[in-house]
Formats: sequence, structure tokens, C-alpha cells
Amino acid sequence: MVRTFRPQNLTEALEIRKNKKAIPFAGGTDLMVGHKRWAGTIPRFVSPVLFIGHLDELKEIIIEGKELHIGSACNLSSILECEYTPLVLKQSISNMASPAIRNVATMGGNICNTSPAGDTLPALYALDAELIVANANRERNIPIDEFITGPGQNTLEDDEILKEIIIPIEQFDVSYHRKVGTRKATALSKLSFIGLARIDDRKIIDIRIAFGAVAPTVVRSEANEDFIIGNNMEELSWLIPEIIEMYSPQICPIDDQRSTAQYRKAVSLRLLEHFLREELK
Amino acid sequence: MSETIGKSIPRVDVLDKCGGSAKYVDDMKFDNMLYAKTLRSTRPRAKILSLEIPALPDGYYIIDRNDVPGRNRVRILIYDQPFFAEDVVNYIGEPILLVVGADKAKILDIISQIEVHYEDLEPILSIEDAESGDKEPIFGEDNRFVDYEYSKGDPDKAFAASATIIENEYRTGYQEQLYLEPHGVIGVFRDGKVTVYGCMQCPFYARNAVIEGLGWDEERVQIIQTTTGGAFGGKEEYPSLICGQAAFAAVKTGHPVKLIFERTEDIEVTTKRHPSIVKHRTAFDAAGNILAMDVDIKFDGGAYAGLSDVVLQRGMFCAVGAYDIPNLRIGGRAFATNTVPCGAFRGFGAPQAFFAVEMQMQNIADKLGIDPIDFKLRYALKKGDTTSTGGILRDEIKIPEIMRTIDDMSNFRDKFQKYENESGNIRHGIGFSLFFHGCGFTGNGENIISGKITLRKSSDGAVEILISNTEMGQGALTALRKIVAKTLNIPIEDVIYENPDTDRVPDSGPTVASRTTVIVGGLLEIAAAELKERWHESGEIEISKVYKHPDYITWDQKSLHGDAYPTYSWGANVVEVEIDTITCEITLKKVWAVFDVGMAIDEKMLRGQIEGGIAQGLGYGNIEVMNSNDGKIQQNSITDYMIPTASDLPEIESQLIDNPYPYGPFGAKCAGELTLVGAGIALASAVQNALGSQIYKIPVRPEDLLEEFENGN
Amino acid sequence: MEISFTLDGKEILLDTNPLRRILDVLRDDFGLTGIKEGCGEGECGACAVLLDGNIVNSCIVPIGYIQDCEIVTIEGFRETDRFRIIAEAFAEAGAVQCGFCTPGMIIATEALLRKNSRPTRDEIRQHLSGNLCRCTGMNMIIEAVEIASQKGGGLW
Repeated sequence: MVRTFRPQNLTEALEIRKNKKAIPFAGGTDLMVGHKRWAGTIPRFVSPVLFIGHLDELKEIIIEGKELHIGSACNLSSILECEYTPLVLKQSISNMASPAIRNVATMGGNICNTSPAGDTLPALYALDAELIVANANRERNIPIDEFITGPGQNTLEDDEILKEIIIPIEQFDVSYHRKVGTRKATALSKLSFIGLARIDDRKIIDIRIAFGAVAPTVVRSEANEDFIIGNNMEELSWLIPEIIEMYSPQICPIDDQRSTAQYRKAVSLRLLEHFLREELK
Repeated sequence: MSETIGKSIPRVDVLDKCGGSAKYVDDMKFDNMLYAKTLRSTRPRAKILSLEIPALPDGYYIIDRNDVPGRNRVRILIYDQPFFAEDVVNYIGEPILLVVGADKAKILDIISQIEVHYEDLEPILSIEDAESGDKEPIFGEDNRFVDYEYSKGDPDKAFAASATIIENEYRTGYQEQLYLEPHGVIGVFRDGKVTVYGCMQCPFYARNAVIEGLGWDEERVQIIQTTTGGAFGGKEEYPSLICGQAAFAAVKTGHPVKLIFERTEDIEVTTKRHPSIVKHRTAFDAAGNILAMDVDIKFDGGAYAGLSDVVLQRGMFCAVGAYDIPNLRIGGRAFATNTVPCGAFRGFGAPQAFFAVEMQMQNIADKLGIDPIDFKLRYALKKGDTTSTGGILRDEIKIPEIMRTIDDMSNFRDKFQKYENESGNIRHGIGFSLFFHGCGFTGNGENIISGKITLRKSSDGAVEILISNTEMGQGALTALRKIVAKTLNIPIEDVIYENPDTDRVPDSGPTVASRTTVIVGGLLEIAAAELKERWHESGEIEISKVYKHPDYITWDQKSLHGDAYPTYSWGANVVEVEIDTITCEITLKKVWAVFDVGMAIDEKMLRGQIEGGIAQGLGYGNIEVMNSNDGKIQQNSITDYMIPTASDLPEIESQLIDNPYPYGPFGAKCAGELTLVGAGIALASAVQNALGSQIYKIPVRPEDLLEEFENGN
Repeated sequence: MEISFTLDGKEILLDTNPLRRILDVLRDDFGLTGIKEGCGEGECGACAVLLDGNIVNSCIVPIGYIQDCEIVTIEGFRETDRFRIIAEAFAEAGAVQCGFCTPGMIIATEALLRKNSRPTRDEIRQHLSGNLCRCTGMNMIIEAVEIASQKGGGLW
């Protein structure tokens, strides 16, 4: 029988994590489905389980200067209800799963599960989210795109717990989110697209573009974005085909039971074109 | 009388269901009950060379082919499917054995230790594969469970004389019933008698199967239906298999044995709607009049024969749709493949056949440049016409009124024109379908079943309905009591109707084929009328009635000629869609439906059947995607097999056209399945209208639409 | 592990494996069979209960999660006036067919009306999107929720 731990506070949790190599369990919605066995039997966990969903230190949402700090064990509903949560993140969350799941599942869990189709990830990439990861001795900050290294792969050490997600508070003139799922609600993502932009005097001064579920990790390219920045609307319209060509090789989805690689790639690029042509106006 | 019966009353089972006190099979517990889990084939086709079973702890059992005292064949139409696999397995998921015991974790442990040694055989994985004859057949000489043909008029002559022939091939996919309550049974063995409880549609089917499996006298086998959480055909034949397995387990262990399916298991291994390939050839004269139709229907029956014979027949009898076609040839074949056996699902062959004929008619109307309503009206059946099998349509057919009504409700004609000429990213489309459903069992079925009902009045004035038909959500518990109460003019509270127990009720036939109200309810109305005459007699009164078709119904099963059904219900659906051409996602804007089901026994319950059936039809048309690769179902969880949620379903506006049927209770005909048949078709047709591209298969996936775009269509 | 929580108003102290699903604890230990297992994956909502007033799927939440929390099941909720209004509304609207999804649907209705006593149709659709129904096509259920919110008169 697998051991379970319910620490009183984060310090205790980090000690247990270090000594027992226990798996952090916040909302546990992915974990419970992933380890599910037959009704009436206990889900088959192989490592000890460390409950962290109750720790107040991991459930705060606060503003510090120009940053929004979201505790890793905040459930998705609470993040959705917070007025400071950026619009694209709210939109991403409200298109996730169902109300019942959102009342339990956490953004920390969505990040650490690191599915290529993770619904919060494209927005977090686009918003330049940074993570605070702690172990018993210290905390470290790491940008989300360095934390995630591949499908289901991240740099969380086996003595660490994801503590916080930091999102810079910025105003965008354009905020566009599109999820293409297998149906309109409670659907896994076939692909998703995030587009954010700041425009000054018809010139693009900042742009963020991210694609989800179409590559091993979220697709975002600062080099491509730098290419777009500085252009005005007129110039941009001439560059669109080239921009699409720049993104195309980075978008490499797979065929699976939900959709085809051809569809996912074609629609990703169509959404990109639509965003650049229509949404930036 | 008939004007007032339709007025809705609260369903009799609402409060128990709302409060969670209604007991479904998994809510039941027996003392010393054991649990069972099935070990299943992981190969689509293989010989079982040997089984290595670990030493079993006390109180744990294996139930397999050796524990079938009678005949190890499930009686459905023929005896091909075993309760437990013997020397070969024919589909992924075929049951090999049960592990039974008190602790579920231990059962899982034992199962994980069982080793099955297979010798793989070359599987047949598609209709094309089965037809080709390249591989060792699974069934008979040629992998055909059944092969039928019938014709009318002189199709060869008509085709020879034609000016044009339009030929198209249409395909439909699997559909999973996805009743919210998975399959489940509990077998109990006590005092030499077996009782099996379970969710099901046909207690006597199960009873007969268990009797033969045990090889016992029929008094020793009892089946009791439990409150059933949805069925839609998926619990028509499958329970016969698992009732048998639970019975054998109860007998061997001496304990009650509970077998409840997990959702993924249920999706993977229980019966599905038959995938189909339907080829239409339509012959025209120079003026554009239809001279003849030649329709070739192929169903993928999966690994065992099951009900494929009857599903195919029903499909064949709908093959030319609601149209009077003077010359026709209809061929049909159900093939054996090494995939999950297919069976009954609301519509039962009609959705596949109507998809093909309705899309063919739409395609023809498009080619001829004629408004589809006008075009279809031209050929629509009328009273006095003969059906495709040469039966006589004796009752009023209100197709013109149905079409007019639905056009008024939806503004179909105007929108259809308008939407053909749209541009921009968002395209709108509107489509419509016209269809019917034959009421009751196909062909001779009703006369073969000879369903018997009994009404029993006790001395305290309560009247009990004794039938084998089951409530599965459609409202039978309420509707049939209403019919009896209304006829007798007594309060509905005085009419008793419990979940059937085969020890107590006669076999009034299965709860299928949309027959419960029209056939069984019809008998109940007659019996109640007779009881009314005798009401003042003292003591207990019992009246039984047996169904027989009216004498004027003639049917020859050999030639498939005559009245395939005693009567028909009719319907039209219009579906309006919005398509985002960037993603090719389809949004359903609204659905309109007009139905002639004779008369409504209860308007709200009928509306429930309409909206529920339409929702399933819409799912069939777009998001319910299910493929099989190498014999394995790819969308085998509720996460991956998508049924519509509240956010996917549009508003549905429906209207009924009254058209009382003289032989139905209070004029009612059939409704349960009709309501599913047309929705997916109208959806596909709407997509066609929106995008201008032809749709030849459902479900219509954005992936396929996008491919059309990318290929420049 | 010892877990203390409130179940339908009663204080409970349970010593059990904290990874057991709430659904199994309620159905097997407490005999509360009102909620159902429709999928075991958190997709269908037939197992829904209220956890501190919020709807959760009991098939994917372990009992260890609900320490010091309050659980309300359909058995607990059916004793209330609010249940009566909702059940009457479901009956009036014809929103119950096979009934398997119904307890979860009613819990979802209560969870919604607690937060928003006069929801729009769209809001009802969104909030019930995690409760699957295969029988009704959903519209009659949505009407039932509307009726309940109209007749609720201050209960929510």
C-alpha cells in the first residue's frame, strides 16, 4: 500500500518531498484518472503521495508590483474568478474541462503534467510566465519555456515542488484566444492559438504568438516575433506569407484518435493568418 | 378521449430518480456477494493455444467455457457466439473467462497473472477485406452473415432505357449508444433456481439464452429487469450474453455474483451501430424524371451474427426512402469481420439507409437545379401507393403537410437559396431530410413473437399491467399506465406496472422496434376496454391478449414481398449550421422537426423522445467519431468518444401532425426511433449547402472538410 | 489516515486509505448510492457532489482531499426545500428520462443557483456542460433549471 502524507505547511511538504520522493498531489484530477483502476479499488500509485492542495501558502493570488503571483495549488475556478487574471488565461481556463473539474484541478498541476495539449500552457508562454520552484533549501525562478523541455518532460527535480506562477501584468491592445476541440465543451484540445499585441500609432510594438497541442511543447518564437515587431499594418500585410513560412516548420503535430496532423497544422497556420490579417486591426 | 390523453402528466418515476432513491443494478447488494471481472481477447483473430492460470486463493474462481452446463452459444438469431471463447477468438474484447471473488483488488491481481497463449490468425478487418475472399472466412464460405435481394417493377429495363445514371457511394461509421449506465448484471443461485437481475430491454431474450446455456427446465430460470439507465438498443441482445455468464458464475460459486462493466470496457466490447457502405445508382429519363433506383447495402456486422440479419432487412426496406420509385433493385449483405459485433441502436439500419437515399436525392436535386423540397415532394409516397416491397400504404400519409409546416417553421427554401451564395469566413448552411420508420417488428416478426399481455384487476380495484416490456427512460412506465387508466377511467395511481420479472409476466415481446406503445399499448387498450365492460364482476379478473397483425397484412419472408410493417410514422428535420471556414468547425444553430406519430400519448414525453433522438442523430452526423484500427476501437473512453454536451446542442423546435392510426392505442403509432433517423442527414445536407462541396460520409469531420478546402474544392 | 469531514450535516471521522475515491467511500461505506459511476474519468458528472458548496466529480477526488470539508450528496440535498423546487421543475419540464444523470444534474443545478440565482440560458448551458445526458438532448433540462430559478423566490 502506498504511503500518503498530509503536511501541515510547505516546509514540512518540502522535507517529505526530499526524503520520501513523494509525488505532489494538488487537485489530482489528472493523477486520479491516470492511475485509475476498477471501481471500488484504490488508484494504483507507485510512489508515495504528498497532498499539497490544502496548503494556504500555495493557494494565494497576490499582486506584487507589476506581477501577478498565483499559488500553484490555486484551483482553476479561483484563477478564473480573480479580476487580475489576464484575459487570454481566463479564456483558456474557461474552455478547459468542466466546472466540476475546474473546482479541483490546479494550474500547477496542468503545468507539471506537461501535456503537449495542456490548456493553460500556451497562454502562460505568451504571457512570459515565470515559475518559482522550491526545495527544502532554496527557491529558484525559471521561465516556463525553460521549465518545460518536452512532452511530459520538465525540469522539476524529485525534491522540488512548484510553488508559484508569476505573470507580468501588462496591458495588451489585442488579446485573442482560440481553442479547437473535439466538441464545444469538456473537450481535449486538437490545437489552440494565442495572439497578444500592443499597437501604437498603427505600429506593432509588442506581439506574442503561441500554439498549443501541435508540437512536443508549446510553439512560441521570439525571433519570429521580433521580425513582426516594428512593422505597421500596411507593411505587415505584405509580410504575412513570409511569417507563415517562418512558423510552418515549428508546427509539427501528430495524427491521433482526436484529429490528424494535416488538420492541426493547416488550421494553426490559418489561425495565424487570420490573427495577423483581421485581429490586429 | 384522444384529445386529452396527450396532455402531459408528471412521469411516475420522477421523484425517485431526482432524489437518488431509484435503484439501478450497481446499487444493489446481496449477502455474500462476489464480484466478477472479464478476461478478454487482446487479438482480433487467434487460436487460443493454452491458458496459464495461477493457483487461486480460497474463495476465488475462474468461470469459463467449462462451466457452461448447457450449450455454450448465446441464442440471438443463430447460435454462433459463445458465452466464453473456446478455441478461437474473433475480436479484440471477446470474453474468455471471468475471475470471481470477494476482493476486487485481488481479482485484478489474478487477472494480471493469467497468461493467454495465442496463435495469431490473419484477421479480416473491413467490409472490403471480407468481400475480397482473400482470407480464410470467419463465417460460412464467404463471410456473409446474410445476403438478400428484392426488386420491384423492371429495373433492368428502366436502366437500359435511361438517359442518365447518377451513381454515388455513401458511408456511415460506428456509433456507440453511450447510455449513462454501463452494462451490469447480478446472478443469484438459490434453491436450485437461478435469478439474474440486470439492466436490459428484453428479459425473455435473456431468459431463453440462459435456459439454453444452463440446459435447465425453464421454471428454474428467472430474469428480473432492474431500473435501467438508458439503452437505445445497446441493451437489446448484449444482456443475453452477460446474464448467462452471471448465471454460470452464481451456480458454480454458490454466491450471488455481480458483473458491472467499466465505461471503457463497455465502449470497446459491447454492440455498436453497423458501419455501412451504400451504393446508389439512380436512372433518369431525358426530362429528368427518376425511372429506377438500384441500391446496394453493405453492413459490417463484426465478429458474430447477432441481429445483423434484421438490421440489414430494415435498412433494405428503407433503401429508397419516402419515395414512390416504380422500378428498383435492393441488394444487401452483412459481413463478418474480426471487429466488435454490431447490433441494435435506435434506428436499426434506417439511419444508414436514409443517409444514403436522402443525400442521393439532394445531390440529384442540386444537379437538376431544383429546390429540394419540390423535388422530394414530386416523388413522395401517398396513401394507396405500394412500398418498395410491394406492401400497400393504407393510412393517410401527410408528407405535403409535414414539408409545408417545416418550411414555414424554418424558412428553409429562402435560406437554402441565400446560403448557396455566401462569401466570407463564416458560412451558413441549411439542410433537410425526409424519412419514415416502420412500426413494430420487421416482416413476420410480430406474428412470430405473438406478444401476450395480461391485465389483472384485483378485488381492491387496482389494475396491474403484466408485460415483459421495460422502462429504459423512454417513459413506458408512464405511457402504458396512462393508456390503461384513461381507457378504464380510473386514476393512474391505481394502475400498477413494475419492472418485469419473467416469473410473473407473459412474454409481450422485446422493448425494441418502437413497438411498445403501438403494439403492446394497443393490446393493453383492447384489454382495458374489455375489462371496463367487466368491471363490476366480483373478485379478481384477468384478461390476456395476444398480438396478431390485422388480416390484411401479408408478408412473404422468402421473397421479401408485402407489408414489411403494419404502419409507418413519418418525419422531417431541418438543421441550420454555421461553419467557420478557418477551422471548418461546425456550430449547430437550430433544428426544426415535424413528426407524424399518429397521436401523442404524452406530449412532454414525446418531446423528450424527439429531442433526445435528435441529439443522438446530430452526434451521429458530426462529433461521434469512432474508428477501428487493426480491430481495435480507437476512441474507447468517454474522453475520446464525444457525445454532445449542453454547449453543443442547439435549440430544437418541434411540431406534431396528428394522424390517428386506427389500430394504435388512442391513435398512436411509433416514435422512439423515428426521431433519431433524420437529424444527422439534415446536418450533412446543411454542411453541403454551406460549403458547396458534396458530403458522402458521416460523421462529417472538420478534418475532412478542411482537406476538401486544401485540395481546392 | 484519519479524515474528518461533514457529510450531509453530520460530523464524520473516517479511518481509511486517503486515496480511495470519494465515490467509493460514499457508495460502499455509507450506502449512499444516489450518485453513480457513469465513467470513472470525471467526464460525465453522474457522480457529482457538493464540496464546500462547489460541484466536484467524486470519482476523481480522493477522500484525503476533503479533510475539514463539507460534502453534500443528493441524499442530503433531497431533504431541503431547494431540492423540492428543483425536482418539481424537473418534473414539470419533462427533464427526467432514464434518471441516471439526474442526481448529478440536480447537484449541478444547485451549485449554479447558489452562485447565480437567475442564470441566462447560455449560463445554464455552460454550467451544465460537465454533466452529460444521453436521453433528453439537454434542452428540457435547461428549461427545468430556468423554471427552478423563476420559482425559487428567494431561496437562492
